[in-house]
Amino acid sequence: MVDNNIADNNTVNTNKFIVSHAPFWHDGSKISLRNYNMALAALPAILFGIYYYGMQAVGVLSLSISTAIIWEFIFCRITKRSNTIGDGNAAIIGMLLGMLLPATAPWWFVITGTFVAIIIGKQIFGGIGANPFNPVAVAIAILMLSWGNVFDFNEALINFDFDFAMVYPLAALKHFGVSAVDSFSMGNLLMGKQSGGIGSTFGLGLIAGGIYLIIRGIIRWEISISFLAGIIITSLIFNITDPARYAGPVIHLFAGYTLIGAFFLATEDSSSPVNFIPMLIYGAGAGFLTVLIRNIGFYVDGVIFAILIMNLINPLIDKIRPKAIGKVVENA
Amino acid sequence: MTSHKELQLVYGLAIILLVVGVLSYAAFPAKAPERPVRLMFKCVAGKILFDHKTHTVESGYGISCSSCHHNLEEGETNPQACGECHEPESQEEDMLSRSDAFHKQCISCHKESEAGPEKCESCHVM
Repeated sequence: MVDNNIADNNTVNTNKFIVSHAPFWHDGSKISLRNYNMALAALPAILFGIYYYGMQAVGVLSLSISTAIIWEFIFCRITKRSNTIGDGNAAIIGMLLGMLLPATAPWWFVITGTFVAIIIGKQIFGGIGANPFNPVAVAIAILMLSWGNVFDFNEALINFDFDFAMVYPLAALKHFGVSAVDSFSMGNLLMGKQSGGIGSTFGLGLIAGGIYLIIRGIIRWEISISFLAGIIITSLIFNITDPARYAGPVIHLFAGYTLIGAFFLATEDSSSPVNFIPMLIYGAGAGFLTVLIRNIGFYVDGVIFAILIMNLINPLIDKIRPKAIGKVVENA
Repeated sequence: MTSHKELQLVYGLAIILLVVGVLSYAAFPAKAPERPVRLMFKCVAGKILFDHKTHTVESGYGISCSSCHHNLEEGETNPQACGECHEPESQEEDMLSRSDAFHKQCISCHKESEAGPEKCESCHVM
């Protein structure tokens, strides 16, 4: 078989991987290292949130990270599983949850959120790598449906007074139309001059973090880029059909949970596809659904629900995969 | 598999952040400023976000306190909240209900100064 291949010049593939025999050398990558990098990538957006919202943001983030770790520890103890908190995944889930919450989230709200994320979102499915949905998105969705007022950023951040308009851009767009968001410039949105979650407003920081994660190979660029492309194209189509009713891509790209969704939520390992075409479909589908929910749906922001729906169909689209090499077709 | 060092790091993180979190919530509770920045009026017709600060500061519309808080006495600086007298369902005949009071106050002033929203959906989030 091998001889035949070498003899036939047309079938020789110069990029062929050569697999050597054991022993193998581990390259040193670990789940914990990946999670430390995630934390590092999220740091600019978190520091920005703390700078603006002060000790209240510190409280929400600290409580969120610590209780997420504690829930995982408790659950591992109860179910007599090996203690997995050392891999840092619980801490990252807590961190991302905290970043999405408003700085005024009450303590019980944060603890309930981390309980839902860790126990219902991840542990009951078997722990890390076994969760069909993004645990953070599950938690936010349940919190949003149960206590919508806490997520009304206009109401939650009522006492914060900054040098920019503290009207939640997506709520203004939804309730008062395109003219209400004319004053939000791309630069201001990128620089975080907008109301929103603690770590979800500083666009530039989130993009920098995302690029870092892509370069380090921790998240897949295919998902992030196709998610953003899905948002741009869908919002552009809406905008072209009726510019008076539907805003252009800028507000959809840089307001709400879009950027944190593109780089930190949609790319979650176990709930997103691994093959090239499925990743593109997954990302673009999530972007498309996000704009659909924002423009003609009931909810102000659609990122969380869009990601959950794409998580749901992830196993199905991941079936689009290259043919297995060397598989013999019977009765051919 | 996680190493002992990683586990210790996470234990440390959990304990420190729990303490920081509890202390932050206990020592820095969310408190409303003396003079409201923005107010959210809630009613059955949809919430209204009212920018109190922009209406009052000199760089904004510069409206004096007594223009709206009509029972403010000379030299008094701490006006009552509107809803204290103007209750949602006013039983008294000579007391406007909360919605009537707001509608009268807001719309008449917006008409007078030819600025600001007058239609329902411009204020109420429907």
